[in-house]
Amino acid sequence: MSVPATDRPASTEHTEHSVESLSSWLAERIALYLKRSPSEIAATVPLAEYGLDSVAALSLCGDIEEDFDVVLEPTVAWDYPTVEALAGHLAEELRALAGEAR
Amino acid sequence: MTVAEFGSFAELVLTRSDERGDADAFVFLSEGARGTQAEHLPYAELDRAARDVASWLQERRLQGRQVLLLYPSGPEFVKAFIGCLYAGAVAVPAPLPSEQGQHFRRVSGIVRDARVGAVLTLAEHAPEVEAWLAAEDFGDVVCLPTDAGPVGDVAAWRDPQLGPEHLAFLQYTSGSTNAPKGVMVSHGNLLANEAAIARATHNTPDTVIGGWLPFYHDMGLIGHVLQPLWLGTRSVLMSPASFLRKPARWLQMISEYGVNGSGGPNFAYDLCVRRVTDAQLEGVDLSSWRTACNGAEPVRAETLKDFAERFGPYGFRPEALFPCYGMAETTLLVTGARKGRPALLREADAAGLERGALTGPYLGEPRRTLVSSGVADGEDFEVRVVDPDSRIEQPGGLVGEIWVRGASVASGYWERPEVNAEVFGARILGQEELGAWLRTGDLGVLEGAELFVTGRLKEMVLINGRNIYPYDVESAVRSLDPALGAGAVFGVDAEDQEHLVVIHEVRAAAAGSDLRTLTTSVQRLIGQEFSVPAGNVLLVRPGTVRRTTSGKIQRTLMRRLFLGGGVTALHSVLDPGVRDLVESTVDTARAADAAPAPAPVG
Repeated sequence: MSVPATDRPASTEHTEHSVESLSSWLAERIALYLKRSPSEIAATVPLAEYGLDSVAALSLCGDIEEDFDVVLEPTVAWDYPTVEALAGHLAEELRALAGEAR
Repeated sequence: MTVAEFGSFAELVLTRSDERGDADAFVFLSEGARGTQAEHLPYAELDRAARDVASWLQERRLQGRQVLLLYPSGPEFVKAFIGCLYAGAVAVPAPLPSEQGQHFRRVSGIVRDARVGAVLTLAEHAPEVEAWLAAEDFGDVVCLPTDAGPVGDVAAWRDPQLGPEHLAFLQYTSGSTNAPKGVMVSHGNLLANEAAIARATHNTPDTVIGGWLPFYHDMGLIGHVLQPLWLGTRSVLMSPASFLRKPARWLQMISEYGVNGSGGPNFAYDLCVRRVTDAQLEGVDLSSWRTACNGAEPVRAETLKDFAERFGPYGFRPEALFPCYGMAETTLLVTGARKGRPALLREADAAGLERGALTGPYLGEPRRTLVSSGVADGEDFEVRVVDPDSRIEQPGGLVGEIWVRGASVASGYWERPEVNAEVFGARILGQEELGAWLRTGDLGVLEGAELFVTGRLKEMVLINGRNIYPYDVESAVRSLDPALGAGAVFGVDAEDQEHLVVIHEVRAAAAGSDLRTLTTSVQRLIGQEFSVPAGNVLLVRPGTVRRTTSGKIQRTLMRRLFLGGGVTALHSVLDPGVRDLVESTVDTARAADAAPAPAPVG
């Protein structure tokens, strides 16, 4: 997605999220759905291994929408099957959104 | 408002439509780009649309035939369902496969079993439905989209003159994909159970109903769609996905529309406690909520307590909690909590329950908190606890199989005479003159009139409000990789929730990938297709899964072996809670083996 040149400052709301901060947010949420502690959720382990199901996938999309204003389909949890992959994807979506907002 | 007033549910809806006219029967909430949208369906409009669908069905001579309904949650489902009743056709509600990311496999089984004559759906889904019908060689099954303008001739519709003995719909929540079983719910059953629900909940024509349960689920259909029509009130509905994305939407809906009666399985209450934030609750007032039904899966004391505490400050009253018990075979409700008081909890001696007796609790001994599923109204049901092997009635305080009879109990499963004789035609030893009882397959105990459900005889696993049939999971897993062989799937209870355990044999050398990758794909398959967490998967050497001499998988034995630490895996993942459970069972067994247990001190 190309970012048109603009005089307005970039929205800090969307650019302040690093992959690291998104990863810990994701691990915390996923731990909540799967009734585990966030420290158990390793960034590179497939979420399916923790028992991710479609209820948890929908929950995750709902919480992402709530906290980041990004509407995602629950299939993302299967298409980006680890915290690391999901965080990368989410960061990209947020960057794209910030681009559109300018 | 008595059952005898109406010969059929169709007649009831016709009467209600006359009485209520332009008043709302339903309000459907959906999430769009512009926030929440509300679509209203008045009684008169429902009546007109149902006559339209009914005239089309009658013109095609589908009166008395089975008609499959494949819809997302929304007004079109309700119009089509009532249309079937108006036509004297038998509605067969089923989940729309594409919406769930699941395959048409399950619905194909239903089309075959029910000998469906037509499929009603939305225009946007008609192409894929037609393609599926063609691919499966269901050439004589017609597909009709019902949302693209009138389909029939309203003036040509004829009242089918139904009686209570006529079938209203087939409820396919029982039986595996391989052998789906449709519960035959008659108009008489439906009228009787709607009356029973109103009696148990104290619902009146002024009660506002609401919820998000799927319409193909008995609790959603009977409780949230047909109960409001029976009462002549209105019902506010949203899709299951809306709720699962943001559980707060359920509570916001109750607050905004003044909903008095709404329910869901235990996991839904748990989701609210864990996911609803204070910010989402701003301005929410739950004081209108008089009956919060909790059924369709085991009711947890912890969940009730947490929910009442969390939402008490927002007007939720603990007396609203309404643990209940029922199943598709009884149309829906059998027992419900006595109104006007908090849910009844009963602490019991854990060892006593293991032996099949409700005793204790005793100081210092492990205990289990049971939640009463309430009482049956004598006008609607008789409930007995019976020893499943001897068929002798158990006295109060002793655990046995729950047997039920009453006007809401269906006559059986569609075209399953042998199963029906066993399940719907059971006789209590020495009380044969009382006639036939329904064997529920659930274990329970009566204390006074209060029913406590303590476990399950059948092998079905209940998670996220879903009935999971081990056979379905085993065959889906086997189809993943030719290296996967026989499997045993069962449920275990750990940390106050039911967990699925999947044990499958694997020929490791023949596997298409390493065992860890294979395990993950098993978990992914179950999580996605069955919508339940698969936190416990064990891949084992061929020969590990026990079978009877006739080749039947011994799931109960495998469960016992697993819990006793007797299953050795080539590769496994276990949920921490389940791992702890297995370890503690093994430790206890070792301690018992090592020395006789010392007498308790103090």
